[in-house]
Amino acid sequence: MRKNLLLVLALVFIIAFSGVVMAQEEDEITLTIAAGAVGQEKATAEEAAAMYMERNPGVNVEILDTPDLANDRYGLYLQFLEAESSKVDIYQIDVIWPGELAEHFLNLYDYGAKEVVDKHFQAIVQNNTVDGKLIALPWFTDAGLLYYRTDLLEKYDREVPKTWDELEETARYIMEEERAAGNEDFYGYVWQGNAYEGLTCDALEWIYSNGGGKIVSDDKKITINNDKAIEIIDQAAGWVGGISPAGVTGMGEEDARSMWEAGNALFMRNWPYAYALGNEEGKPTAGNFDVSPLPAGDSGSSAGTLGGWNLAVSKYSEHPEEAAKLAMFMAGEEVQKLRAVEATLNPTIKSLYEDEDVLEAAPFFGSLYDVFTNAVARPSTATAPKYNQVSEQFFQAVHSVLTGESDARSAIEYLELDLMDTTGFETGEPTQP
Amino acid sequence: MAISSSSNLAKEEQKLAFKLLLPAFLILIIIALYPLGQVFYTSFTNREFASSTKTEFVGLDNYQALLSFTVKELDPIIDQETGEQAVDEETGEKQFQRPIRVLPRDPHLYRPAFEFSFFGNKYVVGARTPDFIRSVWNTLVFTFFSVFFETLLGLIVALVVNSEFKGRGAMRAVMLVPWAVITVVSARMWEWMFEPTRAGLFNMLGDRFGLIDGSYSFLSSANLQLPAIIAVDVWKTTPFMALLILAGLQLIPNELYEAAEVDGASKFRQFFNITLPLLKPSLAVALIFRTLDALRVFDVFQVMLSQKRYSMASFNYFQLISARKMGMASAIGVIIFIIIFAFAILYMKSLGVDTE
Repeated sequence: MRKNLLLVLALVFIIAFSGVVMAQEEDEITLTIAAGAVGQEKATAEEAAAMYMERNPGVNVEILDTPDLANDRYGLYLQFLEAESSKVDIYQIDVIWPGELAEHFLNLYDYGAKEVVDKHFQAIVQNNTVDGKLIALPWFTDAGLLYYRTDLLEKYDREVPKTWDELEETARYIMEEERAAGNEDFYGYVWQGNAYEGLTCDALEWIYSNGGGKIVSDDKKITINNDKAIEIIDQAAGWVGGISPAGVTGMGEEDARSMWEAGNALFMRNWPYAYALGNEEGKPTAGNFDVSPLPAGDSGSSAGTLGGWNLAVSKYSEHPEEAAKLAMFMAGEEVQKLRAVEATLNPTIKSLYEDEDVLEAAPFFGSLYDVFTNAVARPSTATAPKYNQVSEQFFQAVHSVLTGESDARSAIEYLELDLMDTTGFETGEPTQP
Repeated sequence: MAISSSSNLAKEEQKLAFKLLLPAFLILIIIALYPLGQVFYTSFTNREFASSTKTEFVGLDNYQALLSFTVKELDPIIDQETGEQAVDEETGEKQFQRPIRVLPRDPHLYRPAFEFSFFGNKYVVGARTPDFIRSVWNTLVFTFFSVFFETLLGLIVALVVNSEFKGRGAMRAVMLVPWAVITVVSARMWEWMFEPTRAGLFNMLGDRFGLIDGSYSFLSSANLQLPAIIAVDVWKTTPFMALLILAGLQLIPNELYEAAEVDGASKFRQFFNITLPLLKPSLAVALIFRTLDALRVFDVFQVMLSQKRYSMASFNYFQLISARKMGMASAIGVIIFIIIFAFAILYMKSLGVDTE
C-alpha cells in the first residue's frame, strides 16, 4: 500500500515538473488586451488576434471582455492600474483618457511608433501625445451620426432633417402616423440619455450645434452657462416621453441600437459601429436606413462629438517589447481595414478612406469624411486631469433636466459653480467658429 | 501550598489559552484591523486613486465636505403689480426664490439637497455633497421597506412551509431559488422586466390590462426607482428570511400547541401567545442580519441605477472609481461603518439580544 502511494506521488511529481519544463521550453508568452465588446468590436479583435498568433508562434493573445459603458470600463482599468497589475498588457482607452492615465503607459515612440504615426489623423495623434510622449496608438475614431429610416421617410414623403426643429417635427408626424397604422411601440428618436459619458457626448452635440460652446473652452473658460445651451437642453428634455420614449433617460448605445434594429425608431443618434450591424440580414432595418450628419441648431452647422478608442501599452506589462509590437499590429493598416469592413469601425489611417473595399462596406466613410475630421472634441485636454469629474457633473446636470428633477436654468447655473469649484477656471462667453 | 499550586495551574492555563488565541488575534489584526486602520488613515488624506500625485494630510476636510449642511429660508417672490406672492400660472403653486440665490458659495459651495415647507414658509437644506446626503437617505428608505416586507413575507412563507402538507420538502427547496441566484444576475433580469417599453414584462402586463400606457420608465423616473429596487430585493431575500424564521419555528415544541388546543385557545391566540414570543430570538437574529446587510447594499443599485441614484455603498464606489478621490471614498467608508455599528448596537439593546 505504502509503496503504491510513493509510486503515485513520484509519478505526480514527474508529470508536474515535466509540464513546467515543457512550458519553459516552448517559451510561450501570453499578452492580454483589454478591449471593448460593443457590437462586433470583440469578434473582430479576436479575429485580428488569431491572425497575429498564426504569424507569431510563441505568442498567445487574449482579449479581455470589458464593460460596455465607458465609465464602468474606466473603473475597471483604474483597479488594474492601482494594483500595478501585469495581467493586462494593452488597454483600449477612450479618446478622453490620455491626459488622466498617461502616467501608467509606455511611450510608444521608444518602441518604433515614430514611423507609423504619420499615417494616422494628426488630431488624434496629438490628443494621445502627453508631454511629447505618444502614450497610445489610434485604433478607431468615432463621431456621432444621425441614423434615419429611408423607407419611412420615403413613405411619408419627408426629407432628412437638417435642424433639430425639423427632426422633432418629422419624428412626431411619422411616429403618430405609424402608431395609428398599428405599430404602437414606434418612437421618433432614440439616443443616449442615461447618466453616463454617452450623455455628455449627445448633449455636447446639441449645445455645440446650437452655438452654445463646448462646456469648457480650449482657453480654459467655463462657457456652459449661456442661453443657447439652456434652450437646447430644454428642447431635448421636451423629447423625453414624446418623440423619444420616457426610458431614453436610461439608454446607452446598445439600448438605443436594439430598439432601432427592432424597427421601432425612425431616427437614432449613434456611433458608426451600428451601421454594419443594422444591415445584417433579417433585421427590419437592413437596407432600409442611411446615415447623415446630426441636425444643426441655431449655429447653423451640425456637430458630431469626437469619439474613438486607442491602444495603450501598460507600464506594468511583463513583456513590453512584445506588447508594443502587438499594439502596433492591431492599430496597423491590415487590422483597421478588417475592422472597417466587417464592423464599420472608422479607421484612423487616412489612406483607408480611399480604399475601395472599405468604401464599399461603408459608403458613408467617404461621403461623411468631413464629419469625422471636424468632429467636436470633448473638453478633455482643457480640463485634464479632472475631465472625468467635469463630465460627470455635466451629464448629471443634463440628466436631472431630462428627468424633470430640475429646470435647465438652475441645473446649468449650479453646473457652472460646480465646474468653477472643480477646475478653478473663470467663466467666459462661448466662442465658436 | 494547595492554593498556590492551583493558582499556578490557573496561570499556566491562562498562558496556554493566550498562546492558543494568539494566531487568531494575529489573523484578525492582519485581515480586519489593519485594513480598517488603513481606511481610517486614508480618510484624513487627499489621496488620489491609481495616481502618483503626492498625498497630503488634510485633517477632517473630507468629513466636513461630506457632512456639512445648512438650512436657509427661501423668500417668497413678490409680484410687483399686486404686491402679493407670485403664483405659477400653470401649476397654481406659490413661487419662492430659487435655492441658488440663498445658499452660501464662499468658501464652499452649498447645493440644495432637498426643500421642505413649514408653516407656509419654504426652507432649503443645502449640503456640500448633496449626493451623499441623498444616498444615506436612499439607503435608509431602502433598508426600512425591504427589511419590513421581507420579514412579513418571510414569516408568512415560513408558517406555510412549516405546516404539514404533501410535497413540503420540494416546496422548501423551490422556495430558495431566488436566493440562490447571484444578485447581479437577478438585477439584470429585473432590469429587463422593468424595460421602459412594452418589451418589458411590467409595461407589457400593465398595457394589456389597461392599467398603464406601456411606457413607464421604472428605473429612470425618480418616484419609481426605489420601489423598483425594493421589489427586487424583497423578491430575492424573502427566502433567506423565511429560512431563518423556519429554523426558529421548528424549535418551538409541539406540546405547547397541543396544550393550547386543550385549553381552547384559538389559532389566532396561539400565534400571538406562543409562536411570536418564542420566535423572537430567531426573528431578532434575522432582522439584524438583514438590516446590516441592507445598509451596505451595493450590487442592485450599481447594476440597475448606476449613477442615476446612489446607495451609500455605490456612492462610495463612484467616488473612488470615477472621481478617483480615495481619501473621500475612505471617509465615506468610515461613515458607513459608523452608521452600521450604530444600528447593530441599537438592535442589540432594543431587542434584548443576549450577548453572553
